[in-house]
Amino acid sequence: MRWRHPAVVCLIAALGLVPAAGKAEGVSVREAWIREAPPGVAMMAGYMALRNNTSQSQVLVAASSPDFETVMIHRTIVKDSMTGMEHAPQIELPPKAGLLFAPGGYHLMLLNPKRTLRAGDRVDINLEFRSGLRLPVTFEIHK
Amino acid sequence: MKKIPLKFCIMITTVALAAMLAGVWLAVTYRENDSRAMLLPTQGMALFPDPKSLSDFALTDHQNRVFDLANLKGKWSFLFFGFTHCPDICPTTLAVLARARENIAKSTVGAENIQFVFVSVDPNRDTASKLRQYVGYFDASFVGVTGDNAQIASLAGQLGATYRVAITPGVENYPVYHSTAVFLVDPQARYHAVFTPPLDAEAISRRFKVVRELEGNNAA
Repeated sequence: MRWRHPAVVCLIAALGLVPAAGKAEGVSVREAWIREAPPGVAMMAGYMALRNNTSQSQVLVAASSPDFETVMIHRTIVKDSMTGMEHAPQIELPPKAGLLFAPGGYHLMLLNPKRTLRAGDRVDINLEFRSGLRLPVTFEIHK
Repeated sequence: MKKIPLKFCIMITTVALAAMLAGVWLAVTYRENDSRAMLLPTQGMALFPDPKSLSDFALTDHQNRVFDLANLKGKWSFLFFGFTHCPDICPTTLAVLARARENIAKSTVGAENIQFVFVSVDPNRDTASKLRQYVGYFDASFVGVTGDNAQIASLAGQLGATYRVAITPGVENYPVYHSTAVFLVDPQARYHAVFTPPLDAEAISRRFKVVRELEGNNAA
């Protein structure tokens, strides 16, 4: 995985000094954002750069938010030259490794927002790990 | 571990060098001949040497007007197949296309002769009013079209766009699978080129400019 490249790891370690959008017990999140939805669309996607600073694997098993009816961990896949989404029931972050949630890959699927969300707004999403770790993350809505 | 003989190394190096030279020669030759089959420097686009004429189809646009073959004539059309209940790929692609349009509009090519068409493969949920709100959000000029399944299949089939709508009774958010390519249809309603992911606004606008330069007034 390219995040394991020493230079990238150093860079991430350096960036770790900058206050992260959310931080708890060794798992940090940066660049947490949600794409603003067109009017009438009740489905959004959240993206972030996750980083496991601990020396144990951390398994992301769920996410929830007071601002959305449902939050699911999804992955965009390409199969038979078609793209689609699949539910990713759990994602393992190896020790000292990063994982990117980005367009065309992993994303948090956010269903039925409870309020109108426009660029610049912020929402809180809680990430839950198998270890019992709960990580509150603030996402910003971007165009 | 078995040592690789020197002869073998030389042979491989020679073959690799020959292939590189052949590549350069091909690129230069095609450029000189101004051929449509020119190999573009990077991946992400295929230009067809012999664009295929599309045959008629009948869809409906986001203002409930007929959208058929005649709507593809007289301008360059970028077509993308998707659905509005699509949180990741569709908004990402449409945002890229909106930026590409902006680049083209600002360039010498200009945006007078182009249109961007979002074809919903999910007519069950994507009504005209839904499409109007949706495409208008990305760019006021974008056109949203859909129609009955046979007509969507007709246009999709001619472009090689694939999709599958997995309607499941009782499931509101049923999955839809669709191709991610952006299809370019020329002003004679011929399938001219295809942009394949990863899609990038700058690359699309730059390549479109190349296509226009190659075409000159042939297809305009």
